[in-house]
Amino acid sequence: MVSSEPEKLEALREEVRAFLRENLPEKWGTPAYEPLEAGSEEQVALSKSFTKKLYDAGYTAFGVPAEYGGIERPREEIAVIREELRRQGTPMPFVGLGRLVVDTLLQWGTEEQKKRFLPPILRGEVYWIEGFSEPNAGSDLAGVQTTAVRDGDEWVINGQKCWTSGWDYGEWGFLLCRTDVNAPRHRNLGFFLFDCNTPGFSRRPLYQITAEAHAQYGELFFDDMRVPHENLVGEEGRGWYIAMTTLIAERGGGQVSAASGETGGMGLGLFGTRTIGGVDSLIELARKTKHYGQTAWDDSSFRRRIAQIAIENEAMRAYGMRLGKMIMSGSASGNEASMAKLTWTEQGKRRGDMVCEMIGAYSQLMRGDPRAVDNGDLVFSMLMSRGTTIFMGTSEICRNILSERILGLPRG
Amino acid sequence: MAIELGLNEEQSMLKTMARDFLATEAPKTFVRQMMDDEVGHSPELWQKMAELGWQGLVFPEEYGGAAMNFRDLTILCEEMGRAVMPGPFYSTVILVGLPILDFGTDEQKAEFLPKIANGEIVCTLAALEESGDLWADDLHFRALPRGDGYALSGTKMFVTDAKAADYMLVAARTRRTQDPEDGVTLFMVNANDFGIYIDNMTVMDLTRKQYEVRFTDVPVSASNIIGELHGGWPILQQIALKASAVLSAEMVGAGEMAMEMTVAYLKDRMQFGVVIGTFQALKHKAADMYAAMEYSRSLMEWAAECVKEDDRDAPMAVAMAKSYCGDAVKFVTDAGIQLHGGIGFTWDHDMHLYFKRGRYNDTTFGDSNYQKEWITRKLEANLM
Ligand SMILES: Cc1cc2nc3c(=O)[nH]c(=O)nc-3n(C[C@H](O)[C@H](O)[C@H](O)COP(=O)(O)OP(=O)(O)OC[C@H]3O[C@@H](n4cnc5c(N)ncnc54)[C@H](O)[C@@H]3O)c2cc1C
Repeated sequence: MVSSEPEKLEALREEVRAFLRENLPEKWGTPAYEPLEAGSEEQVALSKSFTKKLYDAGYTAFGVPAEYGGIERPREEIAVIREELRRQGTPMPFVGLGRLVVDTLLQWGTEEQKKRFLPPILRGEVYWIEGFSEPNAGSDLAGVQTTAVRDGDEWVINGQKCWTSGWDYGEWGFLLCRTDVNAPRHRNLGFFLFDCNTPGFSRRPLYQITAEAHAQYGELFFDDMRVPHENLVGEEGRGWYIAMTTLIAERGGGQVSAASGETGGMGLGLFGTRTIGGVDSLIELARKTKHYGQTAWDDSSFRRRIAQIAIENEAMRAYGMRLGKMIMSGSASGNEASMAKLTWTEQGKRRGDMVCEMIGAYSQLMRGDPRAVDNGDLVFSMLMSRGTTIFMGTSEICRNILSERILGLPRG
Repeated sequence: MAIELGLNEEQSMLKTMARDFLATEAPKTFVRQMMDDEVGHSPELWQKMAELGWQGLVFPEEYGGAAMNFRDLTILCEEMGRAVMPGPFYSTVILVGLPILDFGTDEQKAEFLPKIANGEIVCTLAALEESGDLWADDLHFRALPRGDGYALSGTKMFVTDAKAADYMLVAARTRRTQDPEDGVTLFMVNANDFGIYIDNMTVMDLTRKQYEVRFTDVPVSASNIIGELHGGWPILQQIALKASAVLSAEMVGAGEMAMEMTVAYLKDRMQFGVVIGTFQALKHKAADMYAAMEYSRSLMEWAAECVKEDDRDAPMAVAMAKSYCGDAVKFVTDAGIQLHGGIGFTWDHDMHLYFKRGRYNDTTFGDSNYQKEWITRKLEANLM
């Protein structure tokens, strides 16, 4: 393969670097970068335009067949591209939760669904939201109560979803609903795609502990919302198994951001944060932060916790390499994603707490206070990390999955 | 550069073969027999291992070796950790065979490597002294010029397998300058020489014997210097690097075994009318044990690959693996005892063998905490 010759790869590397110099926001990757507020309109707009640019340059959408809008390149080129993107802490090409729809439809979608929905997602054109959780069904996701009743060529949906990230930006969403109130658990659900402009759909904000002016998640209400039958994914009654594919993609995806040193994982969205949390920036912070007469870096308790984070980051990276090989050889079950999710989110909490300890009294100052360290981002990340161990399956649920589905211990 | 994690077909075969061999030749009855034995070495088993080519696995064919690589060697050692295998393989091959291969003259290689490979001799390293740390300033043991050679005097401690050994690689001070790392020299010494006294140390991990060894005016020829005169310190560091990768591999083997034993027990033991694996407090502990071992394996494989490739990341990779595996094996074997309840605290149950081996491996050449401090210094240096 011509394009994998060393010189060609080096040329590609240069091309990617030039692209990133041109297209990443000014000061990106430096402490001077002023992050956009997570979930703000500018941030969403930038995520969309940047994803489109990455797509047009051929630096994303790998692993998806070309007929569904994917980009096919030799393995060596993909490795070079990913390496360069990672080196700059480039945010993942990700608008809302569309990437989860890609993985889900690749496995379960009809030909028409894949052709219709995947290309716009890969180009970053549509903001997707996830309607799984309900007030009475969180960890116990199979207990959702929103109903979908078949009426000719349509399904009529009634009920409520909550904690929906990106609730107000959502242009399309996916839903888990009960299609048969009499069928046994796990066999009574359907997985639907819906257009957020459909009559009968409404939404309202919920505010997080992170205190953004703009609500990051919200509630969705369905009042006789009609969805065409062609928007049912897979078979009726099989929705649970389809949702599993979505959840595995969701939990596995977070690892990428942890490995690149980004805080908060996918929950923060693109450009909503500096690339703080990388080990270098932790060391820099420790060296410039004084506490009771010495820098935090002179305090061995901080030094060793930073070393532990560095070790864990390498462990996650090395595990990723092994997992990649396991996936290719078919010996991975997908449940491994719960381990990655558990690790990066629990580490995020520890990292957030450590940083707050380091900055002492300043750990009380939020974004908006001119005296706040790093514009309040450190404290924001610490608070945000509290949500990461709850969303996408809590830490407890992840441990259940590991112990039951990988180690084979009995269900509780 | 080719850092590849996971095993290739040949390596999987090596692993299976090692596991099968150790299951028949080194079952727990054998391990306990060796624990009770003062020397802890079975010449019959040593010979069988030599026939399989284990001692000479990474030596070139001209020295009777199998010309395999360092990563392959760690696969064997991982299985030995899983079996808490007693005996002087680690002392002979890792602590002495590898440095002779890396730093010996052609004559020295020709003299020692074939004998190691064919199971004729057992060797060990005598480096540590009273502090128990590999720290240049703590190295006081003296080699004074005597005729054409030197005379060795002093006491070495924590010398593994000294009673089984035919040769000891001894770290001695040949001069003292401002720089404590200067003036250290390594000598190959016949362990049966007059003037060498070996005392048992009463160690916790009986699967790896350790001794105090006193040298009183023991003559040694200058031709027995491994590496340069006064230049032994970097060799010791290289020994520590490779040994730490190997100790990490053993910890992965031992930790995984402790975890598997525990998970099997959780599925078997009944209390309150159900198997105790139904209790979530125990399931969640098991999940954390699993994650700790998966990450341990990932780091260890990465470290072993870096050593094999002589990659410049090797010292960092090994320090990270050693630190993480040390913490993990301590966590997993501690939880292993706790989750077994009373039976786990008995001498007859095997969990304590893993608990104790884990502690030996963690402590040796710098424990997890020490590695972290080293890592912070290195990270800081990289920033500048
Ligand atoms: C920031 C954020 C964003 C989110 N975004 C979305 C979104 O976009 N779309 C969406 O559908 N949902 C979203 N969620 C919802 C999230 O998936 C749920 O909050 C989560 O699944 C937990 O459900 P719950 O809140 O009902 O808590 P519960 O399930 O009631 O859990 C309460 C506590 O009980 C524990 N628990 C429950 N069951 C068990 C068990 N079997 N064993 C042990 N412990 C157990 C939990 O771990 C937790 O500690 C988001 C949540 C957060 C925090």
